[in-house]
Amino acid sequence: MAMMNAKQYEDSLRKLKLNVYMFGKKVENVVDDPIIRPSMNAVAATYECAHQAEYEDLMTAKSHLTGRKINRFTHIHQSTEDLVKKSKMGRLLGSLTACCFQRCVGMDTLNALSMTTYDIDKKYGTEYNKRFLAFLAYVQEKDLTCDGAMTDPKGDRSKPPHQQADPDLFLHVVEERKDGIVVRGAKCHQTGAVNSHEIIVMPTISLRQDDKDYAICFALPSDAQGITYILGRQSCDTRKLEPGMMDRGNQFYGGHEALVVFDNVFVPWERVFMYKEWDFAGQLVEQFASYHRQSYACKAGVGDVLIGATQCIAEYNGVQGASHVKDKIIEMNHLNETLFCGSLACAAEGHKEPSGTYYVHTLLANVCKQNVTRFPFEIARLAQDVAGGLMVTLPSEQDFRSPEIGKWMEKYYKGNPKVPTEYRMRILRLIENLTLGTAAVGYLTESMHGAGSPQAQRIMIARQVNMDLKKKTAKKLSGIPENE
Amino acid sequence: MNEKRRIGLKYCGGCNPLHDRVRTAGWIQEQLKDRVEFVSYEDEDTEGILIIAGCATACVDRTPFAGRPVWTVTGPEDAERFVEEIR
Repeated sequence: MAMMNAKQYEDSLRKLKLNVYMFGKKVENVVDDPIIRPSMNAVAATYECAHQAEYEDLMTAKSHLTGRKINRFTHIHQSTEDLVKKSKMGRLLGSLTACCFQRCVGMDTLNALSMTTYDIDKKYGTEYNKRFLAFLAYVQEKDLTCDGAMTDPKGDRSKPPHQQADPDLFLHVVEERKDGIVVRGAKCHQTGAVNSHEIIVMPTISLRQDDKDYAICFALPSDAQGITYILGRQSCDTRKLEPGMMDRGNQFYGGHEALVVFDNVFVPWERVFMYKEWDFAGQLVEQFASYHRQSYACKAGVGDVLIGATQCIAEYNGVQGASHVKDKIIEMNHLNETLFCGSLACAAEGHKEPSGTYYVHTLLANVCKQNVTRFPFEIARLAQDVAGGLMVTLPSEQDFRSPEIGKWMEKYYKGNPKVPTEYRMRILRLIENLTLGTAAVGYLTESMHGAGSPQAQRIMIARQVNMDLKKKTAKKLSGIPENE
Repeated sequence: MNEKRRIGLKYCGGCNPLHDRVRTAGWIQEQLKDRVEFVSYEDEDTEGILIIAGCATACVDRTPFAGRPVWTVTGPEDAERFVEEIR
């Protein structure tokens, strides 16, 4: 099968029998649900752009398995150029959708597994890499979206998995059969889960021998028996149920997250990629996290839209010539391009692993993500500063459309006389969406905690810098003897 | 009757473009509509490849185009130069 387009992707989702709940009710039609639909549109963009001449250089790659053109989201990186193109693809899609397009997590999982399964096999003589490559070939052939499911509920953070009061707080194996295993547990914060064809489960932390039942990795169709999705709420989510579109801010795209429950789910052996090799759990987590920390180039793309919206509102308010406004927008651009620099740098400095997969420079990937935990918040603050308080006091679109009171909004919310009041309202709603509405989930809090919270990167940075060399040079240049 | 020249058109991916690549390509095509037929870069039967890049980095891999002339346009000024050259 050739790469899917947006329509084919949507049709493929309609065939899934997902068990999805939202607001206490089962969602019978996931694809057309007005709250979920914008997130499906965002994933669909990853399919459609692969067919557009002006984007396909980033959106596609040549499969190392078949030599065929595939969507880059299913590709295993074969060079540093591939890694750089991945960063650029993230920025591109962020700049087109202004939201989380959800598909990078699966790509990062596939690439991490291509390395870890190979390394496990080398040590233990297992056949995980063979199984993984068969799965990868299927994903590439069908052009599937995969959810990479890592984050367990974790319960009492001071205790390892086997000491938790409830053993299910980390996903684990509960039964071993001749034809496979049965697992129980849950994964939290699963971005794009109900827009995915496959769900790939990984351990969430480094593990010790006592936790070997938790050292499991596998892939299943997203509608496998026993999997339930509970959609997470987003700020302002029910605006998508209101008449009119303006108050949504982003007219087309969005994201979603879900709690995914595995209630005694059967996994056939051919879909198991790690089974009790507890000593490789940490490696898989680190490799996935490093790739995923690179993936946050997408936030520079979202930042592009927020900066554009801020420049627009400055012009609509008539303040675009004020020096402090210009300077604030320069600062937004500076921060945004710095985000991109980190993602590009860790890609350009990548290297080839024994499996043949190219892996990012992990120190720089952590620096990239650490910046992402901060800069979008400052960019958002500056956007709100320039936008003004009207962004949060603006009455609804329904008021604006009201024959009785709409005229007052038209009159009193006029800024630059050359700009329709409605345009001013629309751009304010987009800034609201990105900085405290549904899209702020992805642009702000996900930037903080996605791919690991800030402290996780700081630990990695501390581990990976060569402090001895830095000290040695400082001592040498200041005249201190080397051994002092 | 003169036959039109055939040139393959290839875009960079457009991660952070400094100009509207599609508009630039459209302008070139309009200027040369009587002389050049722009076709897919995957078409083997072309005299060369025009790369429309969003910035001076122009990161498109040129390896597949070895042996054929490659013109790179990274902005409107390049586009004017390319049109002049082809005319």
